[in-house]
Amino acid sequence: MATTTADRHADRHAGWDGRDSFGRLVIAEWTKLRSVPRWAMAMLAAVVLTVLVSVLAASGNDYGGGGPGFAIGPDGTGVRDEFYFVHQPLTGDGGVTAKVLSQTGVEGESHEWAKAGVIIKESTKPGSQYAAMMITPGHGVRLQSNFTTDRAGSQATTAPRWLRLTRSGTSVTGYESADGANWTQVGTVQLPSLPRRVEVGLFVASPVAIKIERQFGSGSVGASPTSSTARFSDVVVAAAQPGRPAPWSDQAIGGSDRVPESLLGSATQAGGVFTVMGSGDIAPLAAELDVDGVRESLTGVFVGVMIIIAVAVLFITSEYRQGMIRTTFAASPRRGRVLAAKAIVVAATTFVVGLLASFASVLLALPILRANGLAPPVFQVPSLSDGSVLRAIAGTAAVLALFAVLGLAAGAILRRSPGAIIVVVVPLLIPQLIAGALPLAAARWLMLATPAAGFSIQQTTTQRYDFVSSICLPEDGCFTTGPWVGFGVLCAYTAVALAAGFWLLRRRDA
Amino acid sequence: MDATIELQNLRKRYGRTVAVDGLSFTVAPGKVTGFVGPNGAGKSTTMRMILGLDAPDEGSALVGGQAYQRLRCPLRQVGALLDAAAFHPGRRARDHLLWIAQSNGIPRRRVNQVLELVGLAAAARRRAGGFSLGMRQRLGIAGALLGDPPVLLFDEPVNGLDPEGIRWIRGLLRSLAAEGRAVLVSSHLMGELEDSADHLVVIGRGRLIVDTSVRDLLAAASGDRVVLRTSKRSEAMTVLANAGATVAATEREQATVSGLPAERVVALLSEHGVPFSEVAAHRASLEEAYMELTRDAVEFAASPGGEA
Repeated sequence: MATTTADRHADRHAGWDGRDSFGRLVIAEWTKLRSVPRWAMAMLAAVVLTVLVSVLAASGNDYGGGGPGFAIGPDGTGVRDEFYFVHQPLTGDGGVTAKVLSQTGVEGESHEWAKAGVIIKESTKPGSQYAAMMITPGHGVRLQSNFTTDRAGSQATTAPRWLRLTRSGTSVTGYESADGANWTQVGTVQLPSLPRRVEVGLFVASPVAIKIERQFGSGSVGASPTSSTARFSDVVVAAAQPGRPAPWSDQAIGGSDRVPESLLGSATQAGGVFTVMGSGDIAPLAAELDVDGVRESLTGVFVGVMIIIAVAVLFITSEYRQGMIRTTFAASPRRGRVLAAKAIVVAATTFVVGLLASFASVLLALPILRANGLAPPVFQVPSLSDGSVLRAIAGTAAVLALFAVLGLAAGAILRRSPGAIIVVVVPLLIPQLIAGALPLAAARWLMLATPAAGFSIQQTTTQRYDFVSSICLPEDGCFTTGPWVGFGVLCAYTAVALAAGFWLLRRRDA
Repeated sequence: MDATIELQNLRKRYGRTVAVDGLSFTVAPGKVTGFVGPNGAGKSTTMRMILGLDAPDEGSALVGGQAYQRLRCPLRQVGALLDAAAFHPGRRARDHLLWIAQSNGIPRRRVNQVLELVGLAAAARRRAGGFSLGMRQRLGIAGALLGDPPVLLFDEPVNGLDPEGIRWIRGLLRSLAAEGRAVLVSSHLMGELEDSADHLVVIGRGRLIVDTSVRDLLAAASGDRVVLRTSKRSEAMTVLANAGATVAATEREQATVSGLPAERVVALLSEHGVPFSEVAAHRASLEEAYMELTRDAVEFAASPGGEA
C-alpha cells in the first residue's frame, strides 16, 4: 500500500521543482507585493506626487539672478571681484614686495577672511585673472589665484608680515617672510593666458559678514558689508626690464552696486607708508550662494519616500496582522531567507519606482528652475548627462530603496504598522523641523547622524570652497561632507536594522 | 517519507502559563486523528510547534521522522490550515495560492487543481477579503492541499461552517485518510468529529488525557449497560434484581440495567412473563464519553448548581 501511494505521488508530481532555491522565495515575495492592488496604487502615487511636488516647488521659487555685483571669472562662472586696488602697470617679468604693517577691521571685529597683501592682476576689469599673496585675520598667510585656487602659507595671522609675488611668464610665485631677509616660498600658480602687461600692487578686501539667525520654523540669513584697513611699507615693484617707474593709481574694483559708498575704500600715502581701506571679496560666487539645482528639482522626493516607507512596512506587518506570517514561515521555515527575499523584492521595486520619480522630477523641474533664474553664470547647473546628475538621480532611487528596506526591517522588528512607520518617518522629519533652531554645528551633526543623511547623495555641487563663508544650511539639505558620507550613514542604519530583524525573526515564535 | 507525526515529551510555556505540558503521541497514516480538548487546552500551540512556528521549550515534534525546520519543500510534506483568515483581503484567491505554490516549487497548474478541488474555481479571481466564512475555510484548505502532502493538519476546520460545509469537510477528511495520509484535526467539540475521526487524542491543560481509537473509547464509555423500556417497570426490576443485576429507574417506563448482557435480560423477562417494548445495549455518544473524560481537565468549567 505504501509503495503504491509513493508511486502515485511520484507520478502526480512530475515536473515539480524539487530544488531548494532562494530564487523561488524571491518570486513568491514578488507575487505577494504585486498582487495587492492598494500597494501598486501607492507606488504609482509615490511617483506622481514626487514629480508633482517637485514641479510645484520649482515653479514657486525665484532665484533673481543671484543678487547684484557679480563678475564673470576666467572659467566663465560667476565670481565676486571686489577690493581696493593700489596699482601700477608691470610689463614682462618682475614682481612686487611689501611689508604689511597692520590689518584692522573698521567698526569692530575684522572678518576672518579679510584680505590684505600684494596682487598681480591681468587688468582692473572685475573677473580678470590674478594671483595674490595676503594675510588674513583668521587663516594666516594665503596664496590665492583665479578665484578658486587657495594655498595656505604660515599660520602667522598678525602683521607685520613681508609678502612677495614674482612673475615669470605665466607662472607666479608667492613668498612670505617675517623679517624681509629670510623668504619662504608658499607656492607657484599658473595663469595660462596672462598678458605681458599686467597691473601689480597692494589690495585690501573684507567680505560681507553673513549672520545666520535660527529660530523654530524659520532661519534668516543677514548679510552686512565689512571693511578693513591695512598699512603697508617697503613697497617695491621690480621689473626685469628696467624702465621709468610708473606712478601709483588707486581705485575700488567692483562692488559699487552693493557696498555703501563710505565702505568702498580709499588709499593714502605718507612717507612710504600706504594706508589702504577696502571692502568686498575675491571669491567664487557659487560657494557663497549654495543652491544646488538638481537637489532643488528633487524636492518632491520627501513625499514619495513617506509613501514608500508605508508600503514597505505594510509588506511585512500586514502578514503579522492577518496571521499570514505563519503561512509564510510554514512555507519557508528558514526565516532569514524570507526576510532577505522580502528585502530584495521591496528594494528592487522601490529602486525602479524611485528612478522613475527622480528622473521625471529632474527632467521636468530643472528647466523651470532655470527659467526662474537658477542658471549660469551665477549658479552652476550641470547638464542631465553629467555624472553628478546621474549620481543624484540613481542615488535618490537608491535612498528610496534603502528607506524601504529600513521600513521593512522596522516592520519585522515591531510587527505593528503604526509603530514601524513612526519609527522610520519621525527621524526623517524631526531633523528637518528642528535643525533650524539649533546652532549650526549641532544642526549639521543632527542631519548627518540621522537616516535622512542619505539625501546628501542628491548634491551635485562638488566644488565647495572652505575659504569662502558659504550659506550652507543643513535644514535646506546642504551637507558639507559631500554626497557619500551621508549615504553611508543611511546604509549603516539599514544594515543594523536588518540585522536586528534577522535576529529577532529567528529567535521569536511566529 | 513516512506519513506520521511524532511528538515526544513536548513542553511549552508562555511566561507563567504552561500551554503544553509533556505531550507525547503519534499520528498514524491512513487515519483521521481527532485532536480534542477544551479551548485553551494547548491544541493550537501544539500544532504551531509541529510546524516549527513556535519553538518547544523541551521535547521534539517530528514530521516523517524529521524536524519541520529541516524540510526543504515543507508544504509538499505537511499541509496545514491554522487560521482561515490568514490572507491579505486585497489579494485575489488565486494569487494567494500562487505565492504559496511558488515558495515551494509547486507548478502554477496545481493552483487551479486545488481551487477546483475545494470548489472555489469560480471565485479564483475574486479578492479574498470579500469571501464568506465558508469560502475562507475552503481557501485555507486549498492552501493546505497545494503541496499534495502525505501529512495534513487542520485546526478547527469546521468552525463557523454551515451544515453543507461541515458535511463536505467530513467527506474530505475521510477521503484524505483513505488515500493513506496522516490527518490531524483539532476541535473543541467532540461531536464535530463523531463521523469522521478514527482515532482520538484528548488533551486538557496541556496534558494528554487519552490516546485511543474511537471504537475503544465508545465501548468503554458505554460499559455493559442495557436500556429497558417496559410498562411494568417495578415487576421487571424485581425479576432482574433477583437475577443479580443492578437496576436503576431512569425515565418513566424506563430503567438501566447493569451486570447482565442484553440476551439474558430478554430471557429473564420472557420467562417471568413481564412485557417490554425495548431492550437495547446502551450506546454512549462521543460527546458523552468526552465529557466524562475531561470533567477534571476543563479549566474554566461552570460550577455545578452555580455554587461558588
